[in-house]
Amino acid sequence: MPELVTTAYSEQATRLDGTLAGMDQLRGAAIGKFEKAGFPTARDENWRYSDIKRLRTQAFSAAQKTSSAEIPEAICETAARLVLVNGHFDEERSEFGDMLQAISIRPLANHLMANNDRAHELHNGTDAPSLLNTALMRDGLVFSVPAGVEIEDPIEIVHVMNGTDSTAAHVRHLIELGEGAKATILERFVGDESAYWFNSVLQARVAEGAVLNHYRLQTEGMQAIHTAKAVVSVGAGGNYNACNISLGASLSRFDAEVRLLVDGANATIDGVALAESRQSHDMLVHVDHRMPTTNSDQVFRTVADALGKSSFQGKITVAVGAQQTLADQSFKALLLARTAEANAKPELEIFADDVKCSHGATIGELDAKAMFYLMSRGIDPATARQMLVEAFTDDALARIDNDAVADAFRDRIKNWMMAHAPVQFEKDVA
Amino acid sequence: MLTVRDLRVSVENKEIIKGLSLEIKAGEVHAIMGLNGAGKSTLANTIAGRDDYEVTAGSIEFDGKDIKDLEPHERVGEGLFLGFQYPVEIPGVSNLNFMRTALNSVRRYRGEEDMSAAEFMKLVRVKAADLKMDLDMLKRFVNVGFSGGEKKRNEMVQMAVLNPKLAVLDETDSGLDIDALKVVADGINVQRNNNTAILLITHYQRLLDYVQPDVVHVMIDGKIVKSGGKELAAELEEKGYADVA
Repeated sequence: MPELVTTAYSEQATRLDGTLAGMDQLRGAAIGKFEKAGFPTARDENWRYSDIKRLRTQAFSAAQKTSSAEIPEAICETAARLVLVNGHFDEERSEFGDMLQAISIRPLANHLMANNDRAHELHNGTDAPSLLNTALMRDGLVFSVPAGVEIEDPIEIVHVMNGTDSTAAHVRHLIELGEGAKATILERFVGDESAYWFNSVLQARVAEGAVLNHYRLQTEGMQAIHTAKAVVSVGAGGNYNACNISLGASLSRFDAEVRLLVDGANATIDGVALAESRQSHDMLVHVDHRMPTTNSDQVFRTVADALGKSSFQGKITVAVGAQQTLADQSFKALLLARTAEANAKPELEIFADDVKCSHGATIGELDAKAMFYLMSRGIDPATARQMLVEAFTDDALARIDNDAVADAFRDRIKNWMMAHAPVQFEKDVA
Repeated sequence: MLTVRDLRVSVENKEIIKGLSLEIKAGEVHAIMGLNGAGKSTLANTIAGRDDYEVTAGSIEFDGKDIKDLEPHERVGEGLFLGFQYPVEIPGVSNLNFMRTALNSVRRYRGEEDMSAAEFMKLVRVKAADLKMDLDMLKRFVNVGFSGGEKKRNEMVQMAVLNPKLAVLDETDSGLDIDALKVVADGINVQRNNNTAILLITHYQRLLDYVQPDVVHVMIDGKIVKSGGKELAAELEEKGYADVA
C-alpha cells in the first residue's frame, strides 16, 4: 500500500484529536493497527470477492458539511427521520416526531460528552474500513430505547452523500434497547454520482426480550464505495432481525457480526443484492452462538446481470456448550447472463454436539421451463422474468415486519428488473 | 382455424416432426393419438412457440395468420392455449397473480383495458367453481404442492379464464383418476362451441369417451399416418397402433 495513503489517514486522525470526548486513545489505537495491517487484499479470506484497489491506492479526504443536498422521500410512515449529510448529522433537516419524549436520540459527540467513560464501549474495528471508522469517526447517532418501550413505526436514518470525488464519511451509530423494548431502524443510503466512500459502523445491544428490526436500503450513487458493518449483541430471548437490500454503489459490503450471548437469543439476517455491470455486492454474516438454545436463520438472494457480481460469505460458529442451537442459512444466486458472477462461501464451525445447523447455497439461471409456462399464458418475456425474479427475491423479504417497508423494497426490485429487461427481440427493434 | 402444412421440426438438431399436415376448422374437436415418442408433445409445443423447437420447413397458420414467427405470448394473444402435460411449479408466484397477469397481458395484446381486480375475482371464482377447484388453491403458489389431478384442473381453470379460440391440450388426461377426468372433460366440453376448436393429444381412448372428437388422427414417427372419425379411437384401443396404421 502506498505510504502516502497511510500517512494521509494518520494525519486525518491526528487532526481529529480532542473532537470527541474520551476518543483520542481509541483513535490512536485504531490508526496504529491500520498503519500496521493496511488494506486487505484478495488473499484475505473476507475480502477475496471485493476489489478494493481504489481504497488501497488513494486516500479519501473527509467529506464536508453541506446544506444543499436533496433528501429522499420517506418510503413509509416513520416515527422519526434523522438525516446525515456527508456523514454529518443535520438536525435542521431531521424530524424527531414525538420520539424525544419516548426515547433518547443524541448525536455521538453529545453522548460521549455526557458519558466520557463510555468511549471504550465503541467497537475498535477489525479490518481496514472499521479501523478507519474508529480512527476517523466524527459523527453519528446514539439511540437508547428504555426498557419496555415499543416504537411501532420505523425510525429512519437517511444517509445522503453529496460530495466530490475521493471524499469519505465515517459514521458511527449506537443503538441500545432495554429489556423488552422494541424498535425498528430503517437505514437509507443515497448519494450523487461522485466517487465517494461511505463507511459506517452500527453497534447495537439488544437486551433481554427486546426486539430490534434493522432494515437497510442501499441505493448509493453508482461510483460510490459503500462499506458497512453491523456489530450486534443479543440478550436472553431477544431478537435481532435484519434485512439488507444492496442496489447502488460500484462496490458495496454489508458485514453483520451478530453475537447471541445469552440463552434463547435469536437473530434473523436476510438480504437481497442486485448487481449490474461494474457493480460488486458483498454480504458477509457471522453469527456467533455463544450460549445454548440460541437460534439464527439467514436467507440471502442475489441477482446479477451482465458483468455484475454478487457474493455471500456466511459463517456460523457454535461455541463449546452452546447446545440445542438452531442455525440455518440459505443462499441462492440468480445469474441473468452468462457473464455475471456469483460467489458463495458458507462456513460452519461447530463445537457443540447437540445442535441443528444447516446451510444451502445454489447458483443458477432463470428456469427456462417456468419462463415458457408464463409466456404460454400470454405473459411477455420481460414481465415473466420480472415475476420470477420477484418470486426469487421474496424469500428474503418474508420476515420484514412492516408492510410498507417490504412493499417499498419490492418496488425497488421491480424497478431494477424493469431497467434490466432483456434486449427486445429483433423484430420488435425494427 | 389451424392449418399446419408439411411441418418439419427439429429439437437439438434431431428431426422429430417429419412432414405433418393438419387442418382444424372452427367448431371441431380433433384428437391426435400415438405412442410415446411419436412427436405429439413436440407438435403441441411447436404450435405454442417453444423456442428450442426449431421449425425447419412448412407453415403454421392460425386464424388465417402465419404464427411461425410469433413469440409464445403473442400466440396466446392471438387466441391460442396450450394445456401442459406437466404443468410447471412456480414457487413464489401466487396462482391468482399469475392468472390475472396472464389475462391482462392478453387483453393488452388485444388493445383492451386491464380487468379490475374485483371483476377478475368474480370471473375466476366462477371458473374455479365450475371446475370444482378450491378457492384456497388459487391463493397458493402456482402448482406448488398440487397433486397431478389438481395441476390439470388448474390448467383447465387457466383455459377457462383466458377463453382461447384454439386449445391444444397435451396429455391433459394423463395421471387423472376417473372423477378428475370427468371434471377435466366437462371443462373441455364447456370450451367447445362453434367458434372454438380443440386439439386433444392423448395416447388413451379414455378421455375421448367424455369428449367426443370429430376427427381422430394417428401419429407415428413424426407424421400423421391415418385420420378418421371417432370410431378410429376405439379401433386403436382394440387392435393397437401397429395393426391400424
